[in-house]
Amino acid sequence: MASAARLGGRLDAGLLAACVVLSLVAIALPGEAREPIARALRRTVVAPLVGLEEGAERWRTAWESSTARQTLVDSAAMQRSTAKALAFENQQLRKLLGLGSRLQWGFVPAEAMHSTAPDEDIVTSLTITAGTNAGVAKYSAVVAPEGLVGVVKNADPTMSIVVLYTDPDFRASAMTADGSVFGIVYPHQGGVGGGGGAPGASSGGGSNGGYLLELRGVPYRNQVKPGTLLYTSGLGGTFPRGIAIGTIMRELTSAEGWTRTYLVRPAVSPASINTVMVLTAQRVTQGTGNIWGAVVNADSASRGIAAAGDSVTRQAALLEAQARRAALDSVRIATADSMRRLLGVPDSTRRDTLSRPRVDTTPRLRRAPAAAAPVVRDTIPVIRPRP
Amino acid sequence: MNWPSALRTIVVCAILIVLHYTLRPLLSWRASIDFLIVALLVGAVRLRPGAAAIYGFALGLLSDSLGVSAFGAAALGMTLVGFAASWLKAVFFADNLALNGFFFFLGKWAFDLIYVLAARNAHGSEILMRVFVWSPLSAAVTAIAGVIALSVLRPIMEVQTA
Repeated sequence: MASAARLGGRLDAGLLAACVVLSLVAIALPGEAREPIARALRRTVVAPLVGLEEGAERWRTAWESSTARQTLVDSAAMQRSTAKALAFENQQLRKLLGLGSRLQWGFVPAEAMHSTAPDEDIVTSLTITAGTNAGVAKYSAVVAPEGLVGVVKNADPTMSIVVLYTDPDFRASAMTADGSVFGIVYPHQGGVGGGGGAPGASSGGGSNGGYLLELRGVPYRNQVKPGTLLYTSGLGGTFPRGIAIGTIMRELTSAEGWTRTYLVRPAVSPASINTVMVLTAQRVTQGTGNIWGAVVNADSASRGIAAAGDSVTRQAALLEAQARRAALDSVRIATADSMRRLLGVPDSTRRDTLSRPRVDTTPRLRRAPAAAAPVVRDTIPVIRPRP
Repeated sequence: MNWPSALRTIVVCAILIVLHYTLRPLLSWRASIDFLIVALLVGAVRLRPGAAAIYGFALGLLSDSLGVSAFGAAALGMTLVGFAASWLKAVFFADNLALNGFFFFLGKWAFDLIYVLAARNAHGSEILMRVFVWSPLSAAVTAIAGVIALSVLRPIMEVQTA
């Protein structure tokens, strides 16, 4: 037992010595000699371990860079969302600048602050950052680059409250671009499929966030096609002529048989209102011209009625004009005959002209005004010398 | 030592060697954990001194093959540390984890000392810095990691007999 232990001890010492010698030899080997040994070990025994170490390094690098990468991604996402908002605001401001340059005067720009009242299902009012100090007055028209927004309800020194077109009590006189159809615009109640009904706030439906309008009071003889643009007519004095209101969508069934009602898609979406312009009273009086693409203001009431009235009125006006011309012709002929009688010249009156009207004046009126009327021979007196 | 016990020891040592090439790069500390020393000490106390010397020599060669210079220095250090650990195995069989941690600390520090002297890469104050600052730090971290590894891997190494 003791010899076995001694043998074991010597064996261990021998192995230790051998390992130490080999280690010292490996240390003493020149680089060219030990490199092949190291390379052989790396390519065989150590290779799987090196692969594990490589994977661990990749993990560590990915872990360290993930935080920075995530920060970059978050920053980029935030910048992107901010950029979108900035681009939208830029677009709105450019539109407002364009509107301002077209209006040139008589307006007060303001920022809109939407109401955050939780009990409001729809937006019917908003607060703007301009008040009486800036020239805003009660019942001033409020517009956006796209068109009509509403009217000022209350004007404080530094802020004002605007009633939008979605308010149940909102009304505006409207007309088509060519001025042939007139009506009154109300807020639409109910969805897109609903018929015309009592005025009220809009709810649901529609492509403009649920906010739609109705054009009522259109004479039955007039039919408006979908896609027709509507503008303020200027009647009433609140809104000047020519502000875009919206686009005709389709006709609604009307309770009244002699008028038509149309559904209108507003030009301005309440949700997208950020900046507005308040028109001053002077500007309303002067009008806005063709800024929103409407017809130029008419210079006489009769031309407006004749151009925009219904067919019956137009026909009546035409007949009246014809009768007036006929009466003037008769007076002219009677005057000429009187002069001839005074001079002793036979006059041109005939029995038949006294009993019935001259038929040839009517065809003459139907021709173009520049066309000359044919000369009737018997109306020209022949002056013969006295025997 | 019977074969099942030997197999368990081999498995534990393999796990520790794998940890040396996976967890160690992940942590990437200046005073890094040397799982190879832990694997050497865990295996050496279950071997005869001669076999432990061979085991240390092999582990050292593996470590040297990935080094740029000083080929053979790690083999020398692990040979001597392995032989000494096996020669002092009676102490390592103590169940006290703190005592085991202390010998992990000693083993790592001794290895670093032998390596620095055998590699002859450092000179002057750098040797002192490595031997008396970074090496003790690395040894301490190795000791803590070794104790934790022992605690985790002990159920594999020790079979509960009914």
